[in-house]
Amino acid sequence: MEQNYDFNSVGKKMPYTVPDGFFDQLEEQVMNEVKAEPAKEKKPMKAVRIAIRTLLAVAACVALFLVVKKALPQGDDTITDDFTSVELAFNNLSTEDQDYLLEVYQEEAELIYDNDLNEWKNEESI
Amino acid sequence: MTDDNQIISLIRENAERGFRLLMAKYKEPVYWHIRRLVVGHADAQDATQETFVRIFRSFSQYSGEGTFKSWIFRIATNEALRLLGRSQGKTTLTLDETAPAILTMKADDYFDYGDVEAVKLQKAILALPAKQQLAFNLRYYDDLSYKEISAVIGSTETSAKANYHFAKEKIIKYMNSNEI
Repeated sequence: MEQNYDFNSVGKKMPYTVPDGFFDQLEEQVMNEVKAEPAKEKKPMKAVRIAIRTLLAVAACVALFLVVKKALPQGDDTITDDFTSVELAFNNLSTEDQDYLLEVYQEEAELIYDNDLNEWKNEESI
Repeated sequence: MTDDNQIISLIRENAERGFRLLMAKYKEPVYWHIRRLVVGHADAQDATQETFVRIFRSFSQYSGEGTFKSWIFRIATNEALRLLGRSQGKTTLTLDETAPAILTMKADDYFDYGDVEAVKLQKAILALPAKQQLAFNLRYYDDLSYKEISAVIGSTETSAKANYHFAKEKIIKYMNSNEI
């Protein structure tokens, strides 16, 4: 059963009001917010990010190996085990060099961990 | 009133000037659309602000499919539903639910209780499920076509039309009742 009601009697009137000057302020607030946004850095593609991380990890290992190798005693035939030789070479370094190497290694490890964590968070939030 | 195509072209040429033009045309319709859904002024202000920031950020994603107006109203609607959902501890309100916004009507400072009929009409609208509210509001207040409404609520044109007519019938019944 269709009843009648004259919508013209109320038209588009609403009981809602806004503070004086509200719409001008709103426009300024929005413009300020969008202008304040830093230009978004384009996120590298996932494959590229993985490649960068892998490269960083390899670079850290190579750097560690090269520095340690340089510190190895030359012509020592008695050392055959790779890990033992690296450990021995590391022990032969000065305390400052040892600290420096550990610091570099730690920074690389943290960087890789942070990247993984950020990526995991981003994937969770999608 | 500036044509939407002019606004789109200007945003592509000069984002800030184009966006100011967009705001000049849409800030009031978008605010009122959101306000009718969330009722409270402060909530409507937050959701409107967020709507325009989102429009600015995602402008490049507007494909030209569907009208620019329906794209803007869709973003605004999503913001309003997100806000209503949050007040219920959810991510967003689904379109089949009835918004709890009617409860905030009495608590809002920016509300004119003097026009009894206008208050009653809003109460009638707010008692409807969200999808019917949207279909009615977008047609009655914003003059959107059924095709545009279907783009906003994510339905078919026929469903948008049906939702509008169901809403109208219920509102007429309410307006003719003795409920205040």
